[in-house]
Amino acid sequence: MARFLVRSVISTIVTMLLVSIALFGLIEVGSGDITVKILGIESTAEQRASYRAQLGLDQSAALRYIGWLVGNDWLVRGRVGHKLVTVKNPQTGEDQWWADVDGQLTRWRMRSGELYALLRQENGSSVEVLANDGWQLDPETGTEFFWGVNDNNSAVKWVRGAGERVWVRTSAGFRQQGDGPQQYIPLRKGILRGDPGLALQTGRPVAVTLIPRIRNTAVLAGVAFIVVMPLALVLGILAGVNEGKPLDRVISVGGLAATATPEFVTGIFLILVLGIWLKEIWPGSPFKAVALFTSPDAIFRDPTLLLLPVLTLTAVELGYVARMTRASMVEVMDSAYIRTAIIKGMPYRRVVLRHAIRNALMAPITIIMLHVNWLVGGVVVVEVIFGYPGLGKYIYDSAIFGDFNAIEAAAMVTVFIAVVTRLIGDLAYTLLNPRLRYT
Amino acid sequence: MAAATSSPRTEQLSRLQRWGKTVRIIFESRVATVGLMMVLFWFLLGFISLVWTPYRPNFSDFEQNLRPNSTNWLGTDHLGRDILSRLMAGTQVILLKTRLPGDFPILGGKAIPGGVALWGVFGSLTLGSVLGLNAGYRSGWWDQIIMQLLDALIAFPQIVLYLVVIAALGQGDLVVILAITVTGAPGVARLVRSLTLDIKTRDYIRAAETRGESVWFIMFREILPNIRGPLLVDSMLRVGYAIFAIGTLGFLGIGLPPPDPDWGNMVNDARRNIFFNQWAVIPPSLAIATLVIGLNLFADGLREEINRYQK
Repeated sequence: MARFLVRSVISTIVTMLLVSIALFGLIEVGSGDITVKILGIESTAEQRASYRAQLGLDQSAALRYIGWLVGNDWLVRGRVGHKLVTVKNPQTGEDQWWADVDGQLTRWRMRSGELYALLRQENGSSVEVLANDGWQLDPETGTEFFWGVNDNNSAVKWVRGAGERVWVRTSAGFRQQGDGPQQYIPLRKGILRGDPGLALQTGRPVAVTLIPRIRNTAVLAGVAFIVVMPLALVLGILAGVNEGKPLDRVISVGGLAATATPEFVTGIFLILVLGIWLKEIWPGSPFKAVALFTSPDAIFRDPTLLLLPVLTLTAVELGYVARMTRASMVEVMDSAYIRTAIIKGMPYRRVVLRHAIRNALMAPITIIMLHVNWLVGGVVVVEVIFGYPGLGKYIYDSAIFGDFNAIEAAAMVTVFIAVVTRLIGDLAYTLLNPRLRYT
Repeated sequence: MAAATSSPRTEQLSRLQRWGKTVRIIFESRVATVGLMMVLFWFLLGFISLVWTPYRPNFSDFEQNLRPNSTNWLGTDHLGRDILSRLMAGTQVILLKTRLPGDFPILGGKAIPGGVALWGVFGSLTLGSVLGLNAGYRSGWWDQIIMQLLDALIAFPQIVLYLVVIAALGQGDLVVILAITVTGAPGVARLVRSLTLDIKTRDYIRAAETRGESVWFIMFREILPNIRGPLLVDSMLRVGYAIFAIGTLGFLGIGLPPPDPDWGNMVNDARRNIFFNQWAVIPPSLAIATLVIGLNLFADGLREEINRYQK
């Protein structure tokens, strides 16, 4: 058992690593030039090249993967010569990178050919002092250069007297600046340390947007789960006990039809019937054909927004779970010990309730755990239909835009959920079924 | 001489008998019959649409957003195209033809027979069988490595894989086939592996090994033909999943490219206009649902009947 446990955990970790490499590789191969999407098609080649460099896309793929996975501050530290730390920006609450120069948090800036150090004060503001004594001589070319942290969370290399003309994206637009660095390495902590990077579409940290989205999806899936499980188990048991009778036929075929109908078809029929036609008869109905999610926590202010998404998800999952339960119930009802119980004269109701159900429910519960990633697919579609601000919609939007930091983070969250629930399912199965032997 | 002529004839007869037996099994199950009818209905409509549709499916010949009426039996869409014609032509890309890209060698720009769903399932069957046979028959390290890779693929939620693959490679029939192949292969491989583990212990495999047959011969000529039954039933279900997936992709706007009508895309277009014209969403939605349900019923009925037969 212990050996099985260790092996599954190791296999899970290897799986996650493989998936992350595959995901990174796929996006690497196909994402095209993201800068065109960010800057627009009117941007010039020079602007795009400058922006690419600022995003750190001129580094090799392997370096970027390492940076994405475990961060790159420890790699860059040797160049800057100081420890690199993050501090929360008091205004936005987002992390900022600073170099820790003997206890003084410092960043640098180049202006009119002069190097300035920005010394962080206790209240979050910074004081600018001239720092021209920091230049280092490059013995090969004879130029002076300096590696430091700039005010855009990148480790950068300035060359004295050769300020690059760079295009900087600011809140006021995209403008050209002199005195720019020659090389950029955007600093990041890496996903394993809780920093999935910046969303390219918005320029904000992915983690900040991802958390309310995960919460919304959890609410949606959770409510659907609470509705589905008891209903599906009851239907499945009813069908299983009445195998071959009309009730079983109705439940089985109905369940199959519900499962085989794509989520978007179910969702659109529900919108049509409950959101539009019902509204004509009953204007006060709580079902909304058009749901406007004005803020990330709109569902908590107006829970009726959840009605149609939950119903759609329910319709899709209900049939699946009910069929699983039915199959397992049929198998149990066929077994010898149930026959024995019936033959010895036990009331039928008691045979079903006491003997059959407990064994019959084991399989569906673990199988559901194993199929969480199948459900994730349903969630994505349901969220896209209803514009629901959850994880699925986020994956869809970022995939359409090509926002690789966001896709990678969001996809890894779904993979993590899938892998961990499968592990739990496996464990639950071994615990519930002591007859299984693992070698 | 007589023996030589008679032996193919008896074989033909027995093949015919086997064929008849299979058909009888299908029709013995009411569920399978209904499913088969639903599937055949769409195949029939698709074949008809190859030579005739009521109107031109890709031309805006009518007024926009018409309700069903005597000219346009199912109404028109938001661009004034006849929905019935589009619905019929929509079966082609799924079941009957695959459009190759312009720069494809030799057949570039042409369409080959067999729809995207069928080729996708064929691809996942091929890839899955090769992986599953190797994992199951060779076992040891092969098994470990192949299963670990497949575990990684299975851990990927399919929709995420579709989104990433299509974002990476662009839209196109071949890309969708590739996506279906990659997402379907792990399931096939697991099934093939478990069946192979069972077949492997049989005497005729031992005999083939003793004869000194090569590993590939044993895998593909000895094992594969003996596991094709469950594999075929499974592939029926897979065609259903593939159509399901194509519909979903079309709905998300990243499925099969225009100009040919695609059901998922039709649903998506109609959804945007649902307040002006509620009738346009119904036909393509029902089309996808009935085709997938038909395939599921067929596979389910078939499996049940085969199980009963074997008992």
